[in-house]
Amino acid sequence: MIKITNLEKFYRTEEVETIALNKLSMEVNTGEFVAIMGPSGCGKSTLLNILGMLDDPDAGSYVFNGVEIAHFNERKRADLRKHNIGFVFQSFNLIDELTVFENVELPLIYTGVSSADRVKRVEEVLDKMQIMHRRNHYPQQLSGGQQQRVAIARAVVNKPKLILADEPTGNLDSSNGNDVMELLTDLNEQGTTIIMVTHSEHDARYSHRIIRLLDGQTVMENIMV
Amino acid sequence: MIRNYLKTAWRNILGNKFYASINVAGLTVGLVVGMFMLLWVQDELSYDKFNSKADNIYKIDIVGGTGISKQIFNNIIAPVATFAKNEVPQVQDAVRIMPVGNAPFRYKDKVFYEDNFAFADPSYFTVFDFNLIKGDKRNPFPDNNSVVITEEMAAKYFGTEDPIGKVVTLGQDEQLKVTGVIPNYPENSSFKYRILMPLSRFNDLAYIKNKKTYDNKTFISSIDADWSMFGFQTYLLLKPGTKVDVTALEKKLQAIHERNKPEDAPVPYLTQPLLKMHLYQADGTDGGFSTVRTFGIVALMILVIACINYVNLSTARSMLRAKEVSMRKIIGAGKLQLFIQFMAETTLLFAIAAIFAFALMFVLLPYYNQFSGKELSLGLSNYNIWACIGLTLLGTLTASSIYPSLLLSSFEPLKALKGRVTIGIGNAAFRRVLVVLQFSVSIVLIIGTLIIGGQLKYIREKNLGYDKENVLSFSMRNGMIPHYDVIKNELQKNPAVLGVTRAGRDIITGGSSTGDNDWDGKPANSNMWFNQVYADKDLIGFFKMNIKEGAGFTGAVADSSHFIINETAVKEMGLTNPIGKRLRVQTVNGTIIGVVKDFHFTTIHHKIEPAVFQYKPNDCWKVYIKTTGAGAQSAIASALAVWKQYNNDVPFNYTFLDDSFKKLYTDDQRTGSLFNIFSAIAIVISCLGLFGLATYSAQVKTREIGIRKVLGASVSRIIGLLATEFMVLIVIAIVIAVPVGWYAMNAWLQDFAYKVNITWVVFVLAGGGATLIALATISIQSVKAAIANPVKSLKNGE
Repeated sequence: MIKITNLEKFYRTEEVETIALNKLSMEVNTGEFVAIMGPSGCGKSTLLNILGMLDDPDAGSYVFNGVEIAHFNERKRADLRKHNIGFVFQSFNLIDELTVFENVELPLIYTGVSSADRVKRVEEVLDKMQIMHRRNHYPQQLSGGQQQRVAIARAVVNKPKLILADEPTGNLDSSNGNDVMELLTDLNEQGTTIIMVTHSEHDARYSHRIIRLLDGQTVMENIMV
Repeated sequence: MIRNYLKTAWRNILGNKFYASINVAGLTVGLVVGMFMLLWVQDELSYDKFNSKADNIYKIDIVGGTGISKQIFNNIIAPVATFAKNEVPQVQDAVRIMPVGNAPFRYKDKVFYEDNFAFADPSYFTVFDFNLIKGDKRNPFPDNNSVVITEEMAAKYFGTEDPIGKVVTLGQDEQLKVTGVIPNYPENSSFKYRILMPLSRFNDLAYIKNKKTYDNKTFISSIDADWSMFGFQTYLLLKPGTKVDVTALEKKLQAIHERNKPEDAPVPYLTQPLLKMHLYQADGTDGGFSTVRTFGIVALMILVIACINYVNLSTARSMLRAKEVSMRKIIGAGKLQLFIQFMAETTLLFAIAAIFAFALMFVLLPYYNQFSGKELSLGLSNYNIWACIGLTLLGTLTASSIYPSLLLSSFEPLKALKGRVTIGIGNAAFRRVLVVLQFSVSIVLIIGTLIIGGQLKYIREKNLGYDKENVLSFSMRNGMIPHYDVIKNELQKNPAVLGVTRAGRDIITGGSSTGDNDWDGKPANSNMWFNQVYADKDLIGFFKMNIKEGAGFTGAVADSSHFIINETAVKEMGLTNPIGKRLRVQTVNGTIIGVVKDFHFTTIHHKIEPAVFQYKPNDCWKVYIKTTGAGAQSAIASALAVWKQYNNDVPFNYTFLDDSFKKLYTDDQRTGSLFNIFSAIAIVISCLGLFGLATYSAQVKTREIGIRKVLGASVSRIIGLLATEFMVLIVIAIVIAVPVGWYAMNAWLQDFAYKVNITWVVFVLAGGGATLIALATISIQSVKAAIANPVKSLKNGE
């Protein structure tokens, strides 16, 4: 599904140039659950952003589902993104002014799903995430675990092929964290490819494969059994 | 989708009640004031446009005099209209109107003093759009006793009865028959004559029954042969489609005049399009247009200030919304969708402000009308008003929505999510520019207010050269003039009456003037005009005017050939020792016996012109009574008692000079009051915006303030830190506003012949005032931020 080759990304300020990704190459197949680990500043968030088409590489190739997209402009990337990728963030990033239902509904609005279909699909997902009873609440009224479940619901409502999770349990206690990991595992078992950045060895053990980064390069790959 | 946008927008407003109220309040006030002012401007610009032939109607004026006595006569001689119609091919029709002063008008037991009387040609009803709604359209005046009145007058005198054929009495005993009714005049009509009689009636009275003569030898046969009487407003309707060569037309009219009365030559004519009459003088100089333009500009400025508030507050807050925008983008929102969302938000906020604004306008309209002297109404059928309001709303909405929407929708999601909104810096600079603009406008308005106020005070307190305090006046009617001495004695019996005199003109608003004069040594090319004051012997003393040289009238027979002139006349005539010099004014040949110190006999918009006092007690119809503040009522009662002896059936009409004086400056006073309000409002709106920005700034800096406090910064230093940021902007605004304000107000003062000097005090007051107000506004937030507990600030600021 994803094949990146010699991917490079630099950050420049007036005086320093920081190499975030240094000729990085990797492949992720459809249906995989991959964890990316490494110390702070190793480039894992940069990688995730490029994979999620939120950012573009300075050099190298990025083939998504057989299409080279490294040179895509923002509009084309955005279009590809909204139909294929769901995001889960450490800080949930729900919109405070919208209810649970409306937050989850939002991606469907932007992809132009009809109103009746939207209600059906949102309810389905909320049911699956077991937060149906909170559908009319606002994010501030929920616990962290519940908020992350809403965020996951929002990430999957459009049935994306790929979910990118950036430290999804970072702001949660261990019990809520485990629930979230179970949810991601379920989604993966139903066929969604998942790439997750994490600091937690515990969380990483849910994945099939761990890619360890250091200074913008792959230093090790562990295949989980 | 739109439903979703509006829902989000609504919740955003509810969730941020503070900013939303500041925004709505600023917009509402701005819209109300802006729309009111633009309606006023629109009304001023619409004068006389309702006349369907307006484009082809021209007013004719004559230029008289030279030098300082040069003046334009709006009322001209009668025959030129008739000759023009016969001799100038492009003239299709002509209208002459001869306004007459007030007079009692009576039907059965109903009797009122009516002004707005006029004699007019029957073409008045066809050249202008004043068509008869009752009576014979083709023949509005079947005979010389006909009278046409407005609907309003018909209702006033006849109620629901049919007015046609009713016989009314004008003045003492003139019987007139109502032969037509015209609709009430639109508010924006320059013509407001409610009672119209045929000009042929005047012809009949003045030339046939009363044998008019200027030299007691030759009698003038008719109005169309009288080349000396300046009393007729004259309008020409030109043939449609003809390209008007105004200069050629003026030359033709001048030729007609000079051919018939060669001694008047040169007598230049002026034409003025009907549509320019309301706002321009006959010679094309300003006659109100600059005020209209000023108000238009101020209205736009106030709307701009209100828009700036919105733009500033919403862009400042956009940083707080960066997370939401980014998430929407990551989830799949396109730039256009976000743009529409933010436009929808602005529109919603605007709709709320507009509803408030309309409600306020409806409530305030009667007061506004009273205040501005207009009769505006917000009737649904009034297309122009709604077009004006619609355009204002649309323009304001567009101006305030596009930039914030573009800005918000162009966030780069990744950076915004991480809180690194790079547009922050440039954007803050833009906001600063806007704040500077807002305050510049406000300060210019304050400067305007101070200077206008100063000039109005100057007018009130200026020594006019005569004493107008507690002077009561009324006009004697025909029967009274021969009995003036008896009347005077009667009045003086009342101790509250300090003095009585009479004159042949209204001392404040002026009267007739003449260019028919001659004196020893008059230069051949001089065409000087005198303002004439027919006076009784005690007039000059009564008004405490100063005789500079020579003596006043004594009432001796010889006084009928004596003249007293003012200082300006002496100067204009080029006399060094005026006393005893020969002077002829019209048919009176005599000598100058005195020079009176200059006094203001018209508004101080005009320079003092040459004036001549003539002893003509029998031509004095205006009685002046000097009284005291406390004795005024008693003096009025005495005057009324005297009046009743001669006119039992006619209501008594009197005025105080002070009131008439105030009336002269009504427009100036109005401009002054409006400016007071406008600048107050501009300041309030600007401060609302500043308050919002300061609040925001304090919020954003909560963390910084916390860290500084932990490191030992004092409360006052922190207030200083926050206040300095804004005070710099105010100072820049002052630097911009001072020259602009000076330039604009200097231009305004040019309209006055006598004016105050603009001093630096005005600018110090305006700048200092704005600074203080701004400082007070900022302090509220700065102090709050500075005294907050740093532990809390640091926690919240994360």
